[in-house]
Amino acid sequence: MARVYVSTVVNARNDRVWQRVRDFNGLPNWHPAIAESRIEGGEPADKIGCVRDFRLRNGDRIREKLLGLSDYDMFCTYSILESPMGVENYVATLRLTPVTDGDQTFIEWTAEFDCAPDRETELVNNIGGGVFQGGFDALKRAFGG
Amino acid sequence: MPHIVKSTIIDAPTAVVWSVLRDFNGHDHWHPAVATSTIERAQASDKIGCVRRFRLKDGAELREQLLALSDLEQTFSYCLLDTPIPMFNYVAHVRLLPVTDGDRTFWHWESRFTTKPEDATALTRMVAEEIYQAGFDAIRKHLKEAA
Repeated sequence: MARVYVSTVVNARNDRVWQRVRDFNGLPNWHPAIAESRIEGGEPADKIGCVRDFRLRNGDRIREKLLGLSDYDMFCTYSILESPMGVENYVATLRLTPVTDGDQTFIEWTAEFDCAPDRETELVNNIGGGVFQGGFDALKRAFGG
Repeated sequence: MPHIVKSTIIDAPTAVVWSVLRDFNGHDHWHPAVATSTIERAQASDKIGCVRRFRLKDGAELREQLLALSDLEQTFSYCLLDTPIPMFNYVAHVRLLPVTDGDRTFWHWESRFTTKPEDATALTRMVAEEIYQAGFDAIRKHLKEAA
């Protein structure tokens, strides 16, 4: 099983960062790679089990299912139902933790998945260094560092 | 039950910070509040269950026991056995996590304890600021001097 772990520090309190990322249908509002998103069946975006169907700027379409969401612990866990990436059993978690020293936020984004062995390095780099870090960079810009 | 949570970012990889923190008997080398420290019965400082007996700069003597230590998770937990102040059932957890963006360290330090209600605020403040926050600042300085 392949594993991705990336983390960063954003210069804002965790409640402000959480407000920006908790909307499971809100990726286009903060992630530069995502063009549009909708929740299937008209369900609320914080209903556990809801499915988001979104399109990347490169045209790829991905469907993901919300598995867990906690406003108390500030994390969101989801799985991929359909994507052109060639991954199986993909589960990812985005988690915020306060940094008390300076009112910052520590953000971790992890994923685990199965894939063809010869594609593992490329996928780990694309997901961690590309998609997740791209989201971090956008959050850092939005919150001034 | 008072619950203390403090965290900081250290501008060094977790391996570097962990190499200092994992020595349960090493706090007298870096923490400004600690004057001397020894492990009882000449045990290794990474033996689970070992007890550190240490003296603070103000003269107070304390004993703390190592409950858990993981090099894989870069975590350890300990409890307070003896202290001259009215703190009971004190259990603390230290955890390091990598900040991959910039190869830094997220350091989380938390504890719970019981005490008389009238002492809770002052003790919480004392531990949070004079032990944890002072420890963060001291490690930052310690690593800078070692570099």
